[in-house]
Amino acid sequence: MKGPTTVINYLIALVLILSLNFILPRLMPGDPLQAIYGDEAIIAMTPELKAELVARFALDQSTGRQFWAYISSLLRGDLGYSYFYNAPVLAVIFGSLPWTVLLVGLAIIISTLIGVVLGIESGYRRGRPLDRALLGVLMFASGFPDFFAGILLLLFFGVVLGLAPLAGATTPYAGCGGLTFLTDLFKHLALPLTSLAMVRIASPFLLTRNAMVISLGEPFILTARAKGCPDKVIRYRHAGKNSLLPVVTATGMQLPHMVSGALFIEIVFSYPGMGSLLYNALLTRDYPLLQGILLVLTITVLSVNLLVDIVYTRLDPRIAYAY
Amino acid sequence: MHINILKEVKSDYMGRTGLTILLSLLALALLAPLLTHYRPEDYTGLIFQPPSARHWLGTNDVGQDVWTQLLYGARNSLLTGGGAAVLAVLFSLLTGGSAALLGGMYDRVLMRLVDAMLVIPPVIVVILTAAYLKPNLLLLIVIISVFLWPAGARMVRAQTLALKESMHVMAARSFGGGRTYVLKRHLAPEMGPVLTAIIIQFARRSVFMEAGVSFLGISDPSLVSWGKMMQDALQFTYLDVWKWWLLPPGFALSLTIIGFTFTGTALETVMNPRLRKEVHHAGD
Repeated sequence: MKGPTTVINYLIALVLILSLNFILPRLMPGDPLQAIYGDEAIIAMTPELKAELVARFALDQSTGRQFWAYISSLLRGDLGYSYFYNAPVLAVIFGSLPWTVLLVGLAIIISTLIGVVLGIESGYRRGRPLDRALLGVLMFASGFPDFFAGILLLLFFGVVLGLAPLAGATTPYAGCGGLTFLTDLFKHLALPLTSLAMVRIASPFLLTRNAMVISLGEPFILTARAKGCPDKVIRYRHAGKNSLLPVVTATGMQLPHMVSGALFIEIVFSYPGMGSLLYNALLTRDYPLLQGILLVLTITVLSVNLLVDIVYTRLDPRIAYAY
Repeated sequence: MHINILKEVKSDYMGRTGLTILLSLLALALLAPLLTHYRPEDYTGLIFQPPSARHWLGTNDVGQDVWTQLLYGARNSLLTGGGAAVLAVLFSLLTGGSAALLGGMYDRVLMRLVDAMLVIPPVIVVILTAAYLKPNLLLLIVIISVFLWPAGARMVRAQTLALKESMHVMAARSFGGGRTYVLKRHLAPEMGPVLTAIIIQFARRSVFMEAGVSFLGISDPSLVSWGKMMQDALQFTYLDVWKWWLLPPGFALSLTIIGFTFTGTALETVMNPRLRKEVHHAGD
């Protein structure tokens, strides 16, 4: 049951996103071409170019045809042309997508691992000093908006201590390869990664902790104790393993937050990913690029979430019957 | 769930901290004109002043008093947070409640739409919409609430469905309790905690979104906002002014979000029966 309905949900979401992308520029007062390309670009356009663009977007035809023109150009992988970068939007985006994927992927792995381990330890010691301290500290850390956590780290480690580079993903024109390149990459990655992971630990932590509290009350824990299992085995193999399920879905649910958090953090650290690209697109009013970035991000998030949903059904067969 | 939420949350350490933070911020925002001699848009003529008796947090690049901006920024942040949260909860109440009560095809279509909207990342869509519409405060509140409500609609629907079938409501009705009586004595107290939890969660997210949107510079530029202050201050980190210009709005924003998070978590613990009682397990 679950399989097809999930896929349909994601398809509807995709259609909603596409319609929003299609409608927004056309809602604006005045020439839709002006709204699609922005005020600055329209001044520089020659009449021939305008005529060609009108024909390409089918702007002189009915709304239905315009929508069809929009969808079919998307299917051909044509997201429009960024006049600021003077390149197709898709090419510009693929230039910065890997950096964001690197940042978000590592941040998810690190924050989930730390969150789960701390959650297991904390749930096992419910109400004791360590649990209370962890709970307070992590809840406090999660309250910091990620970009402000980034600003704090940047100011402290970058400006005050001078330990970390202030911007970028690699030292420009260093031209080094191999191990030096990797250390350079890591030096630039460390601060954005820490700020992104730091504020996200709380979510897997809380989930694991709550699931731990609930699994520790189950009879099989008593059985494990009765047959004399060591504490550590009970903590990780019996209770811990059974507390992992909610974390899997939560990781999927976290992805949108992670991605939007990464956008802001990249702006703070001038990290050359999608966030910086988005900021530039906003500053230069490069609307085709702006639309392209947000569309690619949403589609990425949607596909990963769909994947998580499918994996989750495999992990916990009870879910398949829940509908 | 007949719980006195305020009492329960106040008895929790975390809830107490959260409520204190939120109430003090609210007081600061409301009393802003009493706490400063300036208006947020006043130009004092002195730029990049360090903190002094006249300017508690110094002045910014065009000579506006930072402390004043911080206070008036609190107004806008709390207004956006509260406004968007209440509006979004109204949407969820309307959709979730009607879906549960009417059922049938309407319920199925609406919930399918809600499920689809739930998987769309709201921050990204809000950024896109704001970039086009260049919203003022009211429009920003509407935009945020439009993309927030689906999360609440599901919860409202589930709660309403459970209530509709519950024995005590049936009993009250069969003893001749009228609609208003059932609504007042049974439905409102049962829905109260759920709605409060949703409002707090929404408020936290909309405060963050407002800060994010103004940090990106796509909200009304005349609006005094913490996000905008941070964006402006970030341009001048080389001048060593960040200590009193960049950090205060950042900490104020973090404090607001922490206040909402703490209150929300305390409420969740109260409402989750399995987490509610301090059950002592063998390992304790």
